[in-house]
Amino acid sequence: MEEVGKNESIRVVLDDGTVIAEGDIDLAGGPLLDAAISRVENAHPLIIDLAAVEFIDSSGLRSLLAASRRAESRGTRVVLRRPSSGVVRLLTITGTTEQFDVEEASQA
Amino acid sequence: MTAVSPAMTSTAAAGPITLMLPPIPAMARVGRLTASSIASLSDMSVDDIDDIKIAVSEMITVLIQSGSRTTITLRFETTATEFAVEASTPTVSNDLGRNDLALAIAVLDAVADEHHVASTDDRIMIRIVKRLAPIPPDPSSMTRS
Repeated sequence: MEEVGKNESIRVVLDDGTVIAEGDIDLAGGPLLDAAISRVENAHPLIIDLAAVEFIDSSGLRSLLAASRRAESRGTRVVLRRPSSGVVRLLTITGTTEQFDVEEASQA
Repeated sequence: MTAVSPAMTSTAAAGPITLMLPPIPAMARVGRLTASSIASLSDMSVDDIDDIKIAVSEMITVLIQSGSRTTITLRFETTATEFAVEASTPTVSNDLGRNDLALAIAVLDAVADEHHVASTDDRIMIRIVKRLAPIPPDPSSMTRS
């Protein structure tokens, strides 16, 4: 497991090609998530574990949507693994759930 | 011992609360945690407080991205019927970058009962309102007729 970045909002690690985000994906956390995603950009599919995400807003969602668009251009998809309830809610209210493959919703 | 009436302890009686933040991304977290603390004094549900946190984060994000990189002012006000947050910051133009704003507005639509975004040549202002559930009458204060 390799820590890619950490700040007051978020900690992002890579574990066997999976991006794991812990904390808040907001204006401060989004850029660190982007940096981690860029490290595994060619993964097929690109897996992002969101079980430990405590908060996400539209700036964080933008990072996920950008990754989804790039993945689709490579003929693959972004898998959101164990998204927390906050992530699921934001995907639902913005109508963006279909942009991702959602796997194992977390109870968090 | 000093008796404290319910009116003295309510946030409505306390009047508006103002918070001034530097326009840096880390302050979105400070703003939403402050909002959460203030909202929790208003007998709001956990879900409503979560909505307030999301709304305030969106407001601060828009103002950081669209403002002139100067102080962001947040004003929280509770009345008997609503919890309102007004956020503003100076700007050098009234171009809000509507495409970038669309996702934030979609989120505000979902989490706030009302929202209003306005910009002039020198200031951007966003206001959201969350209505409070009516407080049921205190049974001990009711009398039989």
